[in-house]
Amino acid sequence: MSVIAQTQAMRRDRTGGMSTIVAKTAEQRVAEGEVENFRKGRGPFVVATETTRMAMVFTDAKEPDNPIIFANDAFLDLTGYEREEVLGQSFNFLMAPGADQVSLAQIAAAFDGCEAGGSEISYRRKDGSVFCAAIFINPVLDKSGAVAEHFASFVDLTKQKRDQAQSTMMIDELNHRVKNTLSTVQSIVSQALRNTSDPGAIRESIESRLFALSRSHDLLTREKWEGAGLLDLVNAALEPFGVANGRAGRIVITGGNIRLSSKATLALGIAIHELATNAVKYGAFSNDTGSILISWTIESTIEGNRLILQWREKNGPPVTQPSRKGFGSRVIERGLAHELEGGAHLDFREDGVVCIINIPAPRGARDE
Amino acid sequence: MLIFMILEDMLADLGCESVTGAATVEKALTLVDTQVFDMAMLDMNLGGNRSDAVADALAAHGVPFVFSTGYSGRDMRDGHRDRPVLKKPFAYEELVEVLTAFSHAEALRKCGS
Repeated sequence: MSVIAQTQAMRRDRTGGMSTIVAKTAEQRVAEGEVENFRKGRGPFVVATETTRMAMVFTDAKEPDNPIIFANDAFLDLTGYEREEVLGQSFNFLMAPGADQVSLAQIAAAFDGCEAGGSEISYRRKDGSVFCAAIFINPVLDKSGAVAEHFASFVDLTKQKRDQAQSTMMIDELNHRVKNTLSTVQSIVSQALRNTSDPGAIRESIESRLFALSRSHDLLTREKWEGAGLLDLVNAALEPFGVANGRAGRIVITGGNIRLSSKATLALGIAIHELATNAVKYGAFSNDTGSILISWTIESTIEGNRLILQWREKNGPPVTQPSRKGFGSRVIERGLAHELEGGAHLDFREDGVVCIINIPAPRGARDE
Repeated sequence: MLIFMILEDMLADLGCESVTGAATVEKALTLVDTQVFDMAMLDMNLGGNRSDAVADALAAHGVPFVFSTGYSGRDMRDGHRDRPVLKKPFAYEELVEVLTAFSHAEALRKCGS
């Protein structure tokens, strides 16, 4: 009598510490022995529980706390324990601290009742790491119809939860981008309607800007919206203005393929589109002799590293100061400066437009 | 950035004298602290950062403001749930409605009620 009481006291003490073998009561030994005998008989169901990748345990329904009397290898792999550390432990020894009450109640109900039940709950491995698992608990009846054991199987939900969170985040991000794109389109249409009433000019203005936006999106999508290289961006933005129209030799581009954020990619893409549009209408591309030099460097200044991009037109028709700021000028001097926290200056010099854009250099960027 | 420009145009049409913008939380906080504003529009998502700090600063300075958002309603605006929200893209008329309400509130305050 006293020996049994002593062993039970030791067992209760050990629910806190997980690294020692549980001393076994006579009942525990008998229950484990029954499972072991059944196991030795082999047969397909035994092979199934032993070899399956799904973690499984049997618990003794006749003892308080539902001690574990069998654990398959998959369970040991999932939790990181050795078999001797698990046999005899109460089923709940795996629970992570702070497991929610509803789930605990569902599990308790499954053990108490005669019907299958289960829950999703946080479990703790031997190394202390926590994972979320779905558990299914089923009663095993003996010949008299009483519940003799419970069978519990576990599914590790860690990856599923992570994928779900990722998916939600991506959908939110997508919605955000779509709304911003729609607002940008609203702005493009609004500007076109303000600046002219000629339907042809309105359509041309809207379309050319929409396509520029679309090209920037293509560039970003190629790199999973993680940004783009500046050289790739400049080439993409000038593509409709250059090679296709036989102007390839009239554009000179000098600079490294500095990585830009997606925000900077979109903003600079629009700016270059505006500069090029202006060049075609009034500047270096409006005659046969004009050319454009685009170059950029990273410079270190008192304000930190700056990316300085220059657009210089020459040999176009003589340039006159515009009477009012067109959309393009506003986009560059107001819009870009606001968006990228830098400055941009458009200089309508008589021998050719010069635009200098000065923005904080992307982190880690160096002159190549 | 074109979104900023359409806002400028809408506000100019409404008779607004000057529009100052900030694209980051840091710049916005500096502006709120150093300049006086009649009203403000605050994007809930400033470059990925939550704009709560700016909302707090605007409230502290007594500047009426409206939130703008591209999200469909997952936003949490703890402490600022009574502020109006404009969902992007929004119509000129929606902006007018919000800003008119701000100026009426101003007028009421001045009358001492």
